[in-house]
Amino acid sequence: MHIESGARSDVGRVRKNNEDSFRAEPSLELFVLSDGMGGQASGEVASALAVETVVEHCRDAAEENGAPEFCGEPIPGVSDRTNRLASAICLANRKIFEAGADDPARKGMGATIVACWITDRRLSLAHVGDSRIYLLRSGSFEQLTNDHSLVADLVRSGILTPQQAEVSEQQSVLTRALGTQPAVEVDADEQMLLAGDVVLLCSDGLSRTVTNPEIASTLETYPDPQKAADHLIELANENGGEDNVTAIVIRVAQEPKGLMASLSKLWGGKK
Amino acid sequence: MARLVLKFEGTVLKEVPLGTRPVTIGRGPDNDIPVDNLAVSTYHARVYDEAGRLVVEDLNSLNGTFVNGLRVERTMLNDGDAIEIGKHHIVVDREHDAAVPLDSHRKVSAPKVNETMVLDTKARREMFEMAAKLGERSQISPGRVHVPTLVVLGGRTDRREYQLSDRLTVIGKSDMASVKLRGWFAPNVAAQIHKHEDGYFLGLGDRVPRVNGETIVGPTRLSDGDIIAIGRVRLSFVYRD
Repeated sequence: MHIESGARSDVGRVRKNNEDSFRAEPSLELFVLSDGMGGQASGEVASALAVETVVEHCRDAAEENGAPEFCGEPIPGVSDRTNRLASAICLANRKIFEAGADDPARKGMGATIVACWITDRRLSLAHVGDSRIYLLRSGSFEQLTNDHSLVADLVRSGILTPQQAEVSEQQSVLTRALGTQPAVEVDADEQMLLAGDVVLLCSDGLSRTVTNPEIASTLETYPDPQKAADHLIELANENGGEDNVTAIVIRVAQEPKGLMASLSKLWGGKK
Repeated sequence: MARLVLKFEGTVLKEVPLGTRPVTIGRGPDNDIPVDNLAVSTYHARVYDEAGRLVVEDLNSLNGTFVNGLRVERTMLNDGDAIEIGKHHIVVDREHDAAVPLDSHRKVSAPKVNETMVLDTKARREMFEMAAKLGERSQISPGRVHVPTLVVLGGRTDRREYQLSDRLTVIGKSDMASVKLRGWFAPNVAAQIHKHEDGYFLGLGDRVPRVNGETIVGPTRLSDGDIIAIGRVRLSFVYRD
């Protein structure tokens, strides 16, 4: 299964600092995005620490030269690889919490995180906070993560409609974040990827300013993942650019069709 | 007079006074306490007065009724007890009613629910297991646990029946598949089933599956008795007791 990816982050048009951090590691097929928060530039510190910690923990686990110790309780019903990704996020939470506790200037800093890790065809995903992962498959655009935010809880409970949630003044209230508590519950899930799938990781700077149909049609219009990411950032900025905005686009190549492809598949066996 | 207070994650949604008539709880709009959530059965449970004592009775619901973390079919209620239905909590408030004697047979120290606590699936399972260890099986009614199951009706698979427990169930020839298809032309990933809070959803694979004869276009929620067809393989999705 051939994967292509592109990513871009931008400070937007209003804020002075970019508190979003991301890492795309195509060699590991690992993609991580974090949106930091906290005064005196500590948001950047938190999100950078989150992303670095997740990438390093997963790299160590993938290289298997003494796999790192597991952080937190394994989540039942998901693969070891998905649990490893959740473990990396658990560790990131601990590191940010400790860094915040040690330094008064950084007290209370926190971050969201979304992460995807592909193993053969299986997409492991894990997250904390209101950054999101979407999947565009055969024309249908689906959010794979549930926001850990007050308004998302209110929508799930039937108190707010999704339309009311979009204009709520409480959109920024998170129910879970990295670094604010000594331990955090991580949501993890998995999917089998199909040829032609497009996976998007983004911060709320995108999901709050650009509508889902606009995002989906941009992903469909630009087959090159880097161009799709660039264009999504432009759209967010055209709509005011009030927040930092980051997008990582991952595209699964279409299977080659025709007789030769079928023959080589037969010879090549399982892919 | 006693009343029931419907809460979701700490927020009070509704208060219903208890009279002589039973109070019904369920997804159907004609319930006294309608709860709009797919995990809730149309008529899920009811609460009524029986000789001066409040009783909650599960109406054969799919996902069960819990009181302070224990699955119940029918049990007495005390002031402050929390009835849990899906993620919603219904707290019993007897106000100035005469003191109700404590239920002496309840050995598990259930947390006193003044502030609603959020019981996620994991916490509920832990409490469930703890209760089982303490020998409270009579409260749990083991025969009422529903296990989502795929039953093979036709086609070449490695087993005749599969119990679903993982977040992701892959149907196909892939090493990652738990429902293994056989045969030369079987795809690696024929279809996939995802477990969500509100049920099991069938998604696309390298093939487009059909549910009850209809081709699916995206993730499709499976109901008890649905027939899934992928190529020549036919599976029935059922909740087994």
